[in-house]
Amino acid sequence: MSQATHIRNFSIIAHIDHGKSTLADRVLELTHTVADRDMVEQVLDSMDIERERGITIKAQAVRVLYTAEDGETYQFNLIDTPGHVDFTYEVSRSLQACEGAILVVDAAQGVEAQTVANAIMAMNAELEIIPLINKIDLPAADPERVRHEIEEGLAIPADEAVLASGKTGQGVRDALEAVIRRVPPPEGDPDAPLKALIFDSYFDTYRGVVALVRIIDGSISKGEKIRMMATNTVTDVEEVGVRRPANLPVDELAFGEVGYLITGLKDPALVKVGDTITLAKNGAAEPLPGYREVKPMVFTGLFPIDGDQYPDLRDALDKLTLNDPALIYEPESSHALGFGFRVGFLGLLHMEVIKERLEREFDLDLLATAPSVEYHVFTTKGERLIVHSPQDMPEPSAIERIEEPYLKATVLVPPDHVGAVMELSESRRATFKDMQYLSATTVEMHYEIPLSELIMDFFDQLKSRTRGYASLDYEYIGYQPGKLVKLDILLAGKPVDALSFIVHRDKAYQRGRVLTEKLREIIPRQMFEVPIQAAIGGKILARETVRAKRKDVLAKCYGGDITRKRKLLEKQKKGKKRMKNVGNVEVPQDAFMAILKVDE
Amino acid sequence: MSEPADTRDLMPGPGPVSLYVHVPFCVLKCAYCDFHSAPLPAEPGIADHFAWAVAEGAAHWAALGALDDVVSIYVGGGTPTTLGESLVTLLDGIRDCARVRAGAEVTVESNPDTTDPATAARLVASGVTRFSLGVQSFDDEVLRTLGRCHDAARAARAATELASTGAHLSLDLMCGVPGQTLASWRDTLERAIATGAGHVSVYPLAVEHGTVLADRLASGAIGEPDPDLAAEMMALAEALLGEAGLARYEVASYARAGERAVHNSGYWTGRPYLGIGPSAASMVSAETFAAAVRCEAWGDPGVAGIGRTVTELPDGAARVRFTRSADTVAFLRKPVGPPEDVEFLTAPEAAAEDAMLGLRLAEGITDRLAEEAGACEALAGLAAQGLVEHAGGRWRVTPAGWLLGNEVFAAVWNAGARRGLA
Repeated sequence: MSQATHIRNFSIIAHIDHGKSTLADRVLELTHTVADRDMVEQVLDSMDIERERGITIKAQAVRVLYTAEDGETYQFNLIDTPGHVDFTYEVSRSLQACEGAILVVDAAQGVEAQTVANAIMAMNAELEIIPLINKIDLPAADPERVRHEIEEGLAIPADEAVLASGKTGQGVRDALEAVIRRVPPPEGDPDAPLKALIFDSYFDTYRGVVALVRIIDGSISKGEKIRMMATNTVTDVEEVGVRRPANLPVDELAFGEVGYLITGLKDPALVKVGDTITLAKNGAAEPLPGYREVKPMVFTGLFPIDGDQYPDLRDALDKLTLNDPALIYEPESSHALGFGFRVGFLGLLHMEVIKERLEREFDLDLLATAPSVEYHVFTTKGERLIVHSPQDMPEPSAIERIEEPYLKATVLVPPDHVGAVMELSESRRATFKDMQYLSATTVEMHYEIPLSELIMDFFDQLKSRTRGYASLDYEYIGYQPGKLVKLDILLAGKPVDALSFIVHRDKAYQRGRVLTEKLREIIPRQMFEVPIQAAIGGKILARETVRAKRKDVLAKCYGGDITRKRKLLEKQKKGKKRMKNVGNVEVPQDAFMAILKVDE
Repeated sequence: MSEPADTRDLMPGPGPVSLYVHVPFCVLKCAYCDFHSAPLPAEPGIADHFAWAVAEGAAHWAALGALDDVVSIYVGGGTPTTLGESLVTLLDGIRDCARVRAGAEVTVESNPDTTDPATAARLVASGVTRFSLGVQSFDDEVLRTLGRCHDAARAARAATELASTGAHLSLDLMCGVPGQTLASWRDTLERAIATGAGHVSVYPLAVEHGTVLADRLASGAIGEPDPDLAAEMMALAEALLGEAGLARYEVASYARAGERAVHNSGYWTGRPYLGIGPSAASMVSAETFAAAVRCEAWGDPGVAGIGRTVTELPDGAARVRFTRSADTVAFLRKPVGPPEDVEFLTAPEAAAEDAMLGLRLAEGITDRLAEEAGACEALAGLAAQGLVEHAGGRWRVTPAGWLLGNEVFAAVWNAGARRGLA
């Protein structure tokens, strides 16, 4: 065990794509934590999806031993955090486990919205922040401008900012030396009752829930009886250890250290990120501050394209929740799509990742309906209903008012593009709050915007209208009333529940018109004419028609053509399998997502 | 020359067979063409060399007993008439080794720009009974869009020349061409009827990937073909040709009494065929294929580009379809070589395929074939949609079913094909 004076606990934080995981790779290499032959890119990102998309979804902790220029060996606990705003809470918990953070800023992109958000989180956690300007090997790198942005925009002194390149390894040693010099060793009371912070957890098929912990006070060893303070669960410690990055059991984790903990608990709901662990007897009186329940913000219906896969989908969701307690689901049935689940996610990226994992790791063909948010519906009878799905929306006459979740959105953008952001935000019911110049090249704008508007391709639009320059961060601020209505889509005269959605009344006509047009393009011609209508209650707002197919025949079919053309028919059939029969209309999956891509 | 209604009854085992010869040469590639073709190389003697190679290929099959009852020969391409006089050599070479049934149909494909009366007469003298002429249109504008290297007048003259040889004549026409109007199409149909041709094939334009036409569509140089207009044109063809005594007997084929294409009908009724020439396809029984594999000409069958040892046919294989490499030089060097793509079908799959293809024909398929193909349920479903009808112990397509044939073919094939080889 190292002396606490030789321990440094730190995170690497950054805007997405600024090179955080690559930098972590270089640290592992430099400290010989991972043998060269085992080195793959993004070592700490263990999921295929993380590697492929180049994003970090789960927090990771790894212990590395570093022999510094002063000849001493230090224990570093490096906590790699998710870079996406969906996982802000996980980031904030991870930061609580540290005394310092390396704030990575791309030398070409400069300060972006999540750079600001992460820096503020690190400041709130009272961490020592070491700015690191990354990717200085890029031709477009402009470290001086970025240094200026860090100082002006974040009020972080940057004259000692480390200049580095995760790609070439340049500056990595400087960063580690800076950690030793500037990040304080952990403080804590070795004799106080145990307080350990759970900053992440994962599920191991054989061992049950594995919690990643930071010991704040006291110590913990194998065999002790412990209590999770928020869930009030008492259990035995089966194993404690450190991650290098494979699990390595140790006898004891002492105050200031970071490691893992296995209890044999099989229910992830009992081991919550942010909770405090103490001893069952003579435990701490108060938990560590800052724990909260993680609540899903975005909901979507997930339906198997082949109804027989419903039990498989349920099992798959069961398995994924083990590793991802933020994921929640409940059964949902749709006239159009059959049996499925309404699934709650932290945000859009979380949703995409989960859907992709379900399809890839569990070999399911899924259809996702347009994402929705949690509406609070106050009925004329004085009840308050929680509505996650347009299907559950009561009749308009029974509704007194509807409230919807709002966000405070922060957009960072060069001054030239302020107009474009204003225009987009206005069209998305966002209320402008204020703006300020972080530097001559960066403006910070604040809005209040309904979450339901943000999940309608807001980010894509923001990026395209500002030629990629704008960056976005947001946080939940609460519920506000809105004039909302449910818009129904009818195919061949029948409402398709999975296509209805909730929209602001002033936009219903426009959106109905655009969506019916879009659906006319997406729905292929069938054997009969298919009218597409948009309606509120019984009132039709828009109508389009998919004309009946008149000709579909392979006219030339002689010897050499037969195999090829038969294969074409087989391929078409596979294509049809990806379609959903709604009544007797074949609807491609895209149709259910079309609502999202309604360019106004 | 009309076909027995269900030649499948003659299967399996040795029996009637069709012979296809692919001549991969063209004067100029048309804008819509994705067939295997290239200009005839300038080497002296190449046309004769090709003819001898075909004869060698035929001799190979004849030695195996596969050409003991040839009911039709079809020389297609490409443009076979680019071979000129060598085409006579080619046909003689086949006759020297194959037993060609008396009165067998012998068709040669031709294009207006490569047709000359003298060659045509010599071909007829050497046994050609039928010419299939690629007219495509009698509208110069449409011909330009298609990238054809002849005009309407030349096409009309070629039709007259070929008809005067006394051989049967078939014309290929295309509809649904960008820029083609209903009036233009009507005119083309009327002029085709006026040539007195006994057979007409009508193809709606299909834009194939990688063709000049596909590029020009993608670049916006010409407009997208309108499928509804093409449907209307196909309906007009049926009406006008029908009035003129050319009855529709297949999705794309129209004939006067006794003028149906024997060779093409074989493709839709499960008759085996052997293809000679680059990229030519063959379909034979598993027994015939096994015999070919055993002969030395194919070399080591284990590595014959098939990726498996074909001496051991998969269990249950009843029918084999295979294609030769498209490489003309390789064909000239070794006319008898192993196939490049091989496909094995079980008896039920073969039945499903025959049912699918049989439904292209006006007389449709028998209840027995529908049963063997496992397609009865699918057919009942199609009948409910008005695409097929059942009468007199046969299933056949309705007028709506002609135009929406893919719905029918896909349903029948997919119903039967489930019981395929693992």
